[in-house]
Amino acid sequence: MNVTQDLSFLSLITNASIVVQLVLLILLLASGLSWYFIFGKMFAIRAAIREADNFENDFWSGSDINNLYQRSNSGRTPVVGMEKIFEAGYREFLKLKRQGRMDISVVMEGTRRAMRAACQRELDALERHLAFLASVGSVSPYIGLFGTVWGIMNAFRGLSNVVQATLAHVAPGIAEALVATAMGLFAAIPAVLAYNSYSHDVDRLATRYDSFMEEFSNILQRQPNP
Amino acid sequence: MPPAERKDPGRKWAIALAVLVHLIFAAVLVFGVNWQTKEASPVMAELWSSVSAPAPKVVPKPEPEPVTRPEPKPQPKPVPKLEQPKPVKADIELKDKEKEKEKKRKEEEKKKAEAEKKKAEAEKKLKEQALKVQHAMLEAEQITLNKQREAAEAARQQAAAQAASQRLMNDAIGRISSHIRRFIVMPPDIVGNPQAEFEVSLIPTGEVLNVKLTRSSGNPAYDNAVERAIRKASPLPLPTDPSLIGRFRELKLKFRPNE
Repeated sequence: MNVTQDLSFLSLITNASIVVQLVLLILLLASGLSWYFIFGKMFAIRAAIREADNFENDFWSGSDINNLYQRSNSGRTPVVGMEKIFEAGYREFLKLKRQGRMDISVVMEGTRRAMRAACQRELDALERHLAFLASVGSVSPYIGLFGTVWGIMNAFRGLSNVVQATLAHVAPGIAEALVATAMGLFAAIPAVLAYNSYSHDVDRLATRYDSFMEEFSNILQRQPNP
Repeated sequence: MPPAERKDPGRKWAIALAVLVHLIFAAVLVFGVNWQTKEASPVMAELWSSVSAPAPKVVPKPEPEPVTRPEPKPQPKPVPKLEQPKPVKADIELKDKEKEKEKKRKEEEKKKAEAEKKKAEAEKKLKEQALKVQHAMLEAEQITLNKQREAAEAARQQAAAQAASQRLMNDAIGRISSHIRRFIVMPPDIVGNPQAEFEVSLIPTGEVLNVKLTRSSGNPAYDNAVERAIRKASPLPLPTDPSLIGRFRELKLKFRPNE
């Protein structure tokens, strides 16, 4: 055995068979995308929570609903999250009121539908790409395992041509095959963790939006005619 | 009013952080994990001793068993049936003629009675003789079968012996090249895993007479390193079996940097 043969990580990858390299490439792409979504979703969900906190503070601090509506309708800042639901509901409420001579229950039903639609849109935006995280989390270990199995198959096939089998003949093949599994786990573990925590966060936001909608429709129902 | 495709907040940050995470992961793998195979050489030595000793004993045993059983069974049945009738007929003719001559010499009166008795006796004798012939045929048959079996066994033993000696040869060559490999001083910049082939002439004590490069690895530094190692490794460890030494006057050895 020569001494200079260090199994450096790069040589492991460059010596691997094409299938293993392909698997590694797929896993790298999946991992990159999933990390991008992990951070992107983290920022988006944090922003949505912060926005909901701020808006609820403003809303329950006793300020006038009309003032709030004017502020959000001015278009200076993009309206997202709970404020969006509020805006959609109140706009629909005003339109229906302006038509006059309508039963209050009909007005409230229209308002509620508008808020429901806005809420669905907000949640959909928050939940976008979470499915990708879930499938990376569940599939990439299998892809990595496939690469490993393939690499080990090759390692043993090479072994059959050798008169004296030594560990040194199999070891590089197995090491480079195991890199695929490591890559798959590296992609999968954070994706699964992120998916679980983010879907939990989105669920909590959804219940917050729901309860806000209920309370806001109660307030609107008590509203005197403008 | 469906909103236009909204931009996620902090998109650039997300990309940057994702790249950063991967860079950290790659750095951990490249620098943190030092896979080295320096420890492999002692392992190799252990494997040598275990492989070479039991190999010749183990190999010949399993081979003969499957071959012996199928051969003898099919042959004995068809052969005796075919050859039986011919010799019996010939005997019958001979005996008949002798008996007839005797009958003519004796008196004519007794002809009929004696003839009948003799015919009966002759028939008995003929039957006995036919039986004897049959037994003889069977015995001959068995002898030839035994001979065939012995020949097949001998051939098998020869093949096994050849396989064993081939294995011994390979073991010995492997031991020699691993012995040489210990002396190779690796040049620093070898690309890939090229193979160099050498023809080495030895004297029976194992000393190297001559080293000839028959196929270059494409890397002259590696070729030279191996050639130097072969000379330095002299005397080479030849097998102790005297029947094999004759085959170790000219050796073809192959070397790869990563083996």
